Amino acid sequence: MKARFLISRFDLQLDTTPRLQEYSVDVPKGSTVLECLNIIKWTQDGTLTFRMSCRSAICGSCAMRLNGHAKLACKTQLSDVLIDGAVTVEPLGNFKVIKDLVVDMEPFWASLKRVKPWLKPDESVEYERERLQSIEGYKKIEDASTCILCASCYSDCNVLSVDERFLGPATLAKAQRFVYDSRDCDAEERLEYLGGANGVWDCTHCAECSTRCPTDAKPLERITELKAASMAHRIHGNNGARHVLAFRESIPGKYPGTGGGMINENYIPLRSVGIFNISGLLDLIPVGLRMFMRGKQPPMMPHYIKKFPEIRKMFSRFKEYLK
Amino acid sequence: MTHDVVIVGAGLAGLNAAIQLAGKVDVAIVTKVYPSRSHSGAAQGGVAAAVANLESDDTPELHMYDTIKGSDYLGDQDAIEIMVNEAPETVIEMERLGCVFSRDEEGRIAQRAFGGHSRKRSCYAADRTGHSLLHALFEQSMKHDANLTVYSEYFLLSLIYKEGVARGVVMMNILTGDIEVIRAKAVLFATGGYGRAFEITSNAFANTGDGIVAAYRQGIPLQDMECVQFHPTGLYGVGILVSEAARGEGGYLLNGKGERFMEKYAPSKMELAPRDIVSRSEQTEINEGRGINGENYVHIDLRHLGRETILERLPQIRQLGIDFLGIDCIEEPLPIQPTAHYSMGGIPVNHDCQVVVDQSGTPARGFFSAGECACVSVHGANRLGTNSLLEALVFGKRAGKAILKYVQSAEFEDVNENEEIANARKSLDDLLSSASTESANEIRTSLKETMMWKCGVFRDKEKLEQALETVLELSARYKNIRIADKGKVFNTELQEALELGNLLEFSEVIVRGALAREESRGAHFRTDFPKRDDEQWMKHTLAYKGPDGSLQFKYKPVIITRYQPEERKY
Amino acid sequence: MEDASCCGAGVVQEDNPKLGDALNARTFSLAEEQGLDIVTICSTCQGVMRRAQIKCENDPDYRAELNEDLMEDTGRAYQGTVKVKHFYEMIVEDFGLDNLAGKVTRKLTGLNIAPYYGCYALRPHEFSDVKIPDRPTALEETIEAVGATVVTWPEMQKCCGFPILMANKHNSLHLAGNVVEGAKKQGAACIMTACPLCHLNLDSYQPEIEKTFAMDLNLPILHYPQMLALALGATPEELKLDTHIVQAGNLLENLSSS
Repeated sequence: MKARFLISRFDLQLDTTPRLQEYSVDVPKGSTVLECLNIIKWTQDGTLTFRMSCRSAICGSCAMRLNGHAKLACKTQLSDVLIDGAVTVEPLGNFKVIKDLVVDMEPFWASLKRVKPWLKPDESVEYERERLQSIEGYKKIEDASTCILCASCYSDCNVLSVDERFLGPATLAKAQRFVYDSRDCDAEERLEYLGGANGVWDCTHCAECSTRCPTDAKPLERITELKAASMAHRIHGNNGARHVLAFRESIPGKYPGTGGGMINENYIPLRSVGIFNISGLLDLIPVGLRMFMRGKQPPMMPHYIKKFPEIRKMFSRFKEYLK
Repeated sequence: MTHDVVIVGAGLAGLNAAIQLAGKVDVAIVTKVYPSRSHSGAAQGGVAAAVANLESDDTPELHMYDTIKGSDYLGDQDAIEIMVNEAPETVIEMERLGCVFSRDEEGRIAQRAFGGHSRKRSCYAADRTGHSLLHALFEQSMKHDANLTVYSEYFLLSLIYKEGVARGVVMMNILTGDIEVIRAKAVLFATGGYGRAFEITSNAFANTGDGIVAAYRQGIPLQDMECVQFHPTGLYGVGILVSEAARGEGGYLLNGKGERFMEKYAPSKMELAPRDIVSRSEQTEINEGRGINGENYVHIDLRHLGRETILERLPQIRQLGIDFLGIDCIEEPLPIQPTAHYSMGGIPVNHDCQVVVDQSGTPARGFFSAGECACVSVHGANRLGTNSLLEALVFGKRAGKAILKYVQSAEFEDVNENEEIANARKSLDDLLSSASTESANEIRTSLKETMMWKCGVFRDKEKLEQALETVLELSARYKNIRIADKGKVFNTELQEALELGNLLEFSEVIVRGALAREESRGAHFRTDFPKRDDEQWMKHTLAYKGPDGSLQFKYKPVIITRYQPEERKY
Repeated sequence: MEDASCCGAGVVQEDNPKLGDALNARTFSLAEEQGLDIVTICSTCQGVMRRAQIKCENDPDYRAELNEDLMEDTGRAYQGTVKVKHFYEMIVEDFGLDNLAGKVTRKLTGLNIAPYYGCYALRPHEFSDVKIPDRPTALEETIEAVGATVVTWPEMQKCCGFPILMANKHNSLHLAGNVVEGAKKQGAACIMTACPLCHLNLDSYQPEIEKTFAMDLNLPILHYPQMLALALGATPEELKLDTHIVQAGNLLENLSSS
C-alpha cells in the first residue's frame, strides 16, 4: 500500500521554523507508524530523526503528534491515521523542538520532580515482611501506576499551552499514585502543595490528557480524584476549592437564596473568590457591570425546582458517599 | 568530568546499584535513553522469590534447584544460591521502596506460576512487573537527585581500561554530538542484553550490547555468548513479547491441527516447561508443517480463561494483540513464534559483580558489571522466566555495595582525556566521512536474518559456518557504510551505525562460540550434536579478542556445589 | 423537565463523584417517568450527564447502588434506558439537515462562521458519541445547511478556559483569547459555539482579554440555537443579540445579497 507522510523537519542549527517534508512509502499491510518511519529512515532519508526504543508501547519514547494529536508511533496502526492516503507527523506540542520529531524533554522531567514522586512511608514501623495493602487499596493506584511517562498528555494539555508552570497531567497522575497509596503517610502535605499555585485547580478539564493517554493512567481522572481528596481533607483555602464549596452549598440551597436544585449564578463567583477577599471581589466588577449594562446578568434569586426537597435529601448523604 | 563511580545503564541493575551509592559517594549514571525507558520496564510476568505467600512450602532451596535444572547445569551453583537466598528480602525491599504490586486476599504480594518453577513464586504487578519495579527505582533515583548525576541520552563509546584498571568511560552526548569523558574510580556496566542481532526479537532497539562490546574491545573476555534464549511466545512477524504469564495463567499452545502439541514434548509440565524446550517444540511443529495453515507460526489460545481473567491479569497482553496485530485474545487465539529474548552470556563477573578476566577469577580493578550484560552465571544455558528481574535487582544491589567498599580505598587513575576524545572523534569522523555506499540497513537486515535462521533455535555446523562467513563479510562491508546525516545534533543515524558495529562484533562471538560448543545444552541446540555432553562441555566459554582482532577461546569449569547434573525432564 | 436539577457541571463530581452521578441518575429517572430522552443545549451538561449514564451502563452494580438510595430519597429509580443528546446532535441526527435546510427562510449566505466544539462534546473519546471524535462534522454541516460559510482554525477543539475562570483567571482568559484570536485570523465574522459556558467566556470577557493580552478581537459569539434561529427568520432583537458583550446584532448586515 502506498502512503504519504508529511513529516515536520527541523534542525536547530539550520532552521528557524519547522517545515513539512513529504515522503511517499510503500508500506506492508499491518504496519505501525513507527515501522513506516523506520522504512523512511533506513531506505530513503537517514537524516530523519525521532526517538524510539521498545516498540511495544511500554517505554514511552516514540510519542509524537499524528494528524495533530499525540500518540505513540509504535502503538498506532498506520491505517488508523491515514486521511486520504496521508498522515501528518509532527513533534509533541508544548515542548521546544531539537530536531525533527525530537523535543527537549527536560521541562517534563523537572515538573515530575516537583511533586516528590517517591513513597514516603511511616519509617517508624519495623517490618520483616512487605507492607500489607488490600486489593482495593491496590486498585486505587493501579491506573496511575500504568503511566509510561511518554508525555503525550503534556503535549496536548491546553493549560500548558498558556502556562508552562502548570504541573501538568502526567505529574499530577503521578501525585495521585502517592496520595492514594495506603502505604504513604504524606497525603496531607502533598495535597497542600497540589492545591496551591499551578496545581490541580489550574486544570481546565479539557480532557485532552485522558484522550491522548496510551495507558490506563488517564490523568484527568486522577486529577479529579486529587481534587476530591483535597476537598475531603478540607483544604479549602483557594478559589478552586471555594468554587466547589459554592456548588456544594448552592445546589441544595444551604443558605437562603443560594440555590434551589439549580445553582445561583450570582452566588458562585462571589463564594469562589471569597466573601472577604476585597481585591478578588473588585476584580469581578468590570465584567459584572458590563453584563448588567447589557441586560445579560442572571436573575438575582435562584430558580427553585419543584421537587427541591429530594435534592436536599440526596445532599444529606454527602458524607456517607465519601466513605 | 569526574565522579567516584560511573554506572552505564539505568535499568533495574544500574538503578539499584546507584541507590546503594547515592549520598555516600559521588555517583553518575549514563544512559542512552531516559531511565524510565530502560528495557527492564518491558518485563511483564513477574520476579521470582520464595516469599511463600501462595504456596507455603516454597523455599529458596527449591528455587535453587529449579534454577539449576533450568540452566541445564551450566549455571554456577554458588551464584545461584546467593540469588535465591537474597530473593525474598530483595523483593520485599522493592515493595517497601514503593513498588506497586498486585495483592492477594490478605494484602500480601500476589504470586503466580511460571515456567520451570516447581512452586508458584512469581511475584507480580499485573503483566507489567518490570515497569512497576523500574518506576519504583526511577522514583527513588529522583529522591536522591542531589546526590546522583544522571547523564540521559549519552551513548557509550568506550571503556577506559589500562593495566588491568578501569578508569572511566568515553561517551557521546547525543544531544550535542560532543564527545565527553567521565573519569571514575569505579565503572559499572549494566547495559542490558544483545537480542537485537536477531530478526525476530522481543528486545528494544536499544538492546545492542554496547557495554559488552566496549569491554570485549579492551581485551576483557565474554562468557557463554552462544547461549541466547528464544522466548516461545513472540507475536508473529514482530517478535513483541507475549508474557509467559499468558501460559502461567493457563493459556494453551495449539498447532495447525488444533492440538496441544506440548503433550508430546513435556507431558507433565505442558506449556509451562522451560522456554528453551517450548521454543524448540514450536519450531519443530512449524518445521514439520504443523504451523497454522503450514505457516511460520502457532497459536496461543487464551479464550478459555474468560474475559474477566484476561482483563484483570493480562490486560497489557490483550492490548498488544489488539494494537500490533488487530487481534483481541478474548475472541481469537494469537499467532506466535519463538523470538530472541534473553542473553544468558555476557561479561564474566564474580559474586560481588566485579569483572573477572581469566579462568582463575582474577578481578579487573575498578570494573563491575551486573544484570543482563553480565554473566555471573545464574542462568547457565537457559534462564527461567522471572529470574531476570531478580538477577538484575539482587546483583545490582550487590554491585552497589561492593563498589561502595571498593572506592573507599581506590584512587582516580591517570587518564589522558585529550587523547581519548581525539581517538573517539577520529573514529566517528572516519565513519561520517566514508565516501562509500554500503547501506547500514542492508547490512543490519542481512545480519539479523542470518543470526535468526542460521544461529537461532536450531543450529548445526553447516548453518553456523555459513553464518560465520556472512558475519565476516558484513563486518568487512560495514567499514564502508554511508551515513547521510553529517550533523552533530541528535544524529541517530550515526548512533545506529555505531550500534550496528556492536551487533557485528558480538555476533561473531556468538557464532564462533556456538560452532565450538559441540553439544546441546539449554537454549543452545545443535541438531548435529543433539545430546548434552557433560564430559566435554560442562564448562563456560570465555571469548577473548586478541590484539590482532582475532578471537580466542578459553574455558572454565562450572561451579557445582549441591546438585549433580541429571537429565532434564518436565 | 421542570424538576431536573443542576447536573453538577463536573464540579460536584470533583467534590463527591457518587453524589454527582446520583443527581444525574435522578434526572434520568424523571425523564424515564415521562418516557423521554434528554436533550440539552449545553456541552458541559451533555458531557457530565453522558459520563454518568455510561458509568451506569458499564457497571450495573453501581447503578443498583445509586438506585437504592434514589428510591429512598425520591421514590424513583433509574432503569438505564435514557439517551442524552446535545441539541445539535438532535438536529443533525434526528431532525435532519435536509429537513432543516428546507425550513431556512433567511439563508446566512456569505457569513463566515467559525464552528467551535470545545471539549466535552468530543473528549474523553470514550464518553463521546461522535464517530471520529477528532474529526467531528456536525457543526460544519449545520453551518452549510443554513447557507453560511465554514471557517476552520487550529483552536476549534481547544478549551475556552471557562472551567478555571475562578481558579486561574489569567490562564482562563488566555485560553479564551487564543480561541477567539485564532478564528479572527482565519477571517471569521463570528464564532458559533455549542456550549453556553464557552459562550460566556468567549463573549463576556473579550474586552478584558483584549486589554490583558493586547489582542484585537471584537468577534461576536453565537450560540448554536441562535444561529439556527437567525436562519429560521428570527430577528436579532427577538434573540436579544444586543445583550451580548460583543455586539452580534449587526451580523446580518454581512450577508451577501445573493
